[in-house]
Amino acid sequence: MAISVKVMERPVGEVSYVRATLKGLALTLKHLVDPHRVTIQYPEEKWDLSPRWRGTHRMLTTEDGKAKCVACGLCPTVCPANCIKLVPGEDEVGNRYPLVFEIDEFRCIFCGYCQEVCPEEAIHLGRHYENAEFNRARFVYDLERLTAQTHPVSTLWDPADPRGE
Amino acid sequence: MVNLTIEGRTVSVPEGTSILEAAKAAGVLVPHYCYHPGLPVAGVCRMCLVEVEKMPKLAPSCATAAAEGQVVHVFSDKALEARKGVLELLLINHPLDCPICDQAGECELQDYTFQEGRADSRYREPKRFNPVEDFGGDVLFVANRCILCTRCVRFMDDVHEAPVLCVSERGDRAMIARTGDEGLTQPWAANVVDLCPVGALVSKDFLNKARAWELDRTASVCTGCSQGCNTVLETRDNVVVRQKPRANDAVNQFYLCDVGRLDYRWMNRTDRVESPKIRMHDVLSMVDWSIAMREATRLAEGRRAYVVASPRLSNEALFLLKRIITKTGGEGVFRCATGPEAPLPGVEDLSLRADRAPNVTGAERLGFTRRDGDPFAGLRDGDLLILADEALEGLDVAAARRAGAVVVVGTTLPVGVMPHVVLPIANVAEEEGTFTNLRGRVQRFLQAKAAPGLARPSWYALADLATALGTPSDDCQLPSAAFAALAASEPAFRGLSYERLGLRGAPLADAMVGAA
Repeated sequence: MAISVKVMERPVGEVSYVRATLKGLALTLKHLVDPHRVTIQYPEEKWDLSPRWRGTHRMLTTEDGKAKCVACGLCPTVCPANCIKLVPGEDEVGNRYPLVFEIDEFRCIFCGYCQEVCPEEAIHLGRHYENAEFNRARFVYDLERLTAQTHPVSTLWDPADPRGE
Repeated sequence: MVNLTIEGRTVSVPEGTSILEAAKAAGVLVPHYCYHPGLPVAGVCRMCLVEVEKMPKLAPSCATAAAEGQVVHVFSDKALEARKGVLELLLINHPLDCPICDQAGECELQDYTFQEGRADSRYREPKRFNPVEDFGGDVLFVANRCILCTRCVRFMDDVHEAPVLCVSERGDRAMIARTGDEGLTQPWAANVVDLCPVGALVSKDFLNKARAWELDRTASVCTGCSQGCNTVLETRDNVVVRQKPRANDAVNQFYLCDVGRLDYRWMNRTDRVESPKIRMHDVLSMVDWSIAMREATRLAEGRRAYVVASPRLSNEALFLLKRIITKTGGEGVFRCATGPEAPLPGVEDLSLRADRAPNVTGAERLGFTRRDGDPFAGLRDGDLLILADEALEGLDVAAARRAGAVVVVGTTLPVGVMPHVVLPIANVAEEEGTFTNLRGRVQRFLQAKAAPGLARPSWYALADLATALGTPSDDCQLPSAAFAALAASEPAFRGLSYERLGLRGAPLADAMVGAA
């Protein structure tokens, strides 16, 4: 039995590729002359981050360059990802001070609870996203590294709209 | 007996009981600072104010006796408002340094402020400041945190009977001070750290070591002496970081001496035997438990067992050793370190005892002979010497060479003796068991941390060893079962069981009447 094929009749004006091609070319031509651009020329150009951006941590320091942290233990307690390791001890003048303070940035979920709970305003999330390393171990930030960071810190909420309305 | 109603619950208490204690019996906790059941009533903190119907003013419940027909409201608006005011005044000079305070998490000031206090302070003036002072002993005084409840002063005056603390100055300058230069060097002085409801008196040993909420707490018994004070072992990350007293009216009330309190570091030793070993070609090689047991069976063939046990072993372990001794017609001895006695004057029959081991009575009751000088005196040529948790420190071990074979059941290797078989066991913090204190009170301790490597609880290792040496001990497959077997075969322990002991212990059947 011979196979019969029904040939549809389509209006040439609607199915022709010529029309679509011209449409596409017109759009390209429009972008060529229009100065509006979406792409950013990273790394020469960088995004403006939101003040609430939550990136890798930074430990703020007092005027004499010591970490503000008093090793109270609230951030390891509140941390839902269990990524903060803290061993409290005393510094040279007998003040409570962290002997070990390490954040595993791989484990961190960047919730910002540590910054929110900190009574000394010491640990902060950073407005920062360039974290590439050659070595996995380098993603465990110790106290020295955390205090050496200089990037701006997160405000966690928009100062103009603190309630998020 | 008087009947009264507290927060809608009726209770009946003996005459003379304070409202605060009556409320406790009714299951209501009245907030308080200066009141402590072990100390005389002072009524200085005003925190326990409650409303008693038909009384014109609020009454301090610690110092008001419960009376027939009283109706007490602990959480009425009037009482809550008054306590809120008290808390606000207590906090005006408090530094609010909870983040760096060791008491945070177990602080009554924190708890009650959270429960009933104001959310903010109206005090705008500069706070009073006094420097931190070292009170001697294990105690550090952080004056700023003090709320002047005077529990420490009353403990040193009335319980320790060594009046070295006082309240000096008056009014808002008042502070706790030492009366002389002596300080808190008395043997029981560190109890003021536990008594202090806030972080004013803190332990130097525990300072900045851990936060209260990170600790796991396990009921235990102090191993410092034969008094057998009830304690709590507090661990973090499998390390014992602190030992605190646990209340038991029959033994230590609320107290623990400084020697016992600081006697926990050895529980964290890292130079432990972690696997069974046997001697091969004059070196110790790690082997499996079953191979070590087979070797023990081979060595014990036809030999008399001579056991040198430690009085730090539990009743269960000593009982299983006794089985081995009885089977082979052997002998069991122990030695015990001694030190000066140090009684706590205000409490009857409570003292740091001369025998510095927890289970001397248990060892004696189970037929072990005390030989402090030379534990090897009875050792005969060719005996099977079993060293049970006895490291032989400070002993002349030449006599031990008479032994035909040496089996070590211990946490560490003994000094100067080359064993044939080594069976690693858990220490007191790592196993369950019981001790018998010098008044014949049998008390349980529970497991606080994990044992290292292949080490097994002492009752487990010794039940296997007893089986290997020809006394089947299949009836001891749990510490409770080992204790049941002990109770069944020893008349003194008859009628006792883990259920019966609970966490407060029970006296032996023939223990001295009236003694703790």
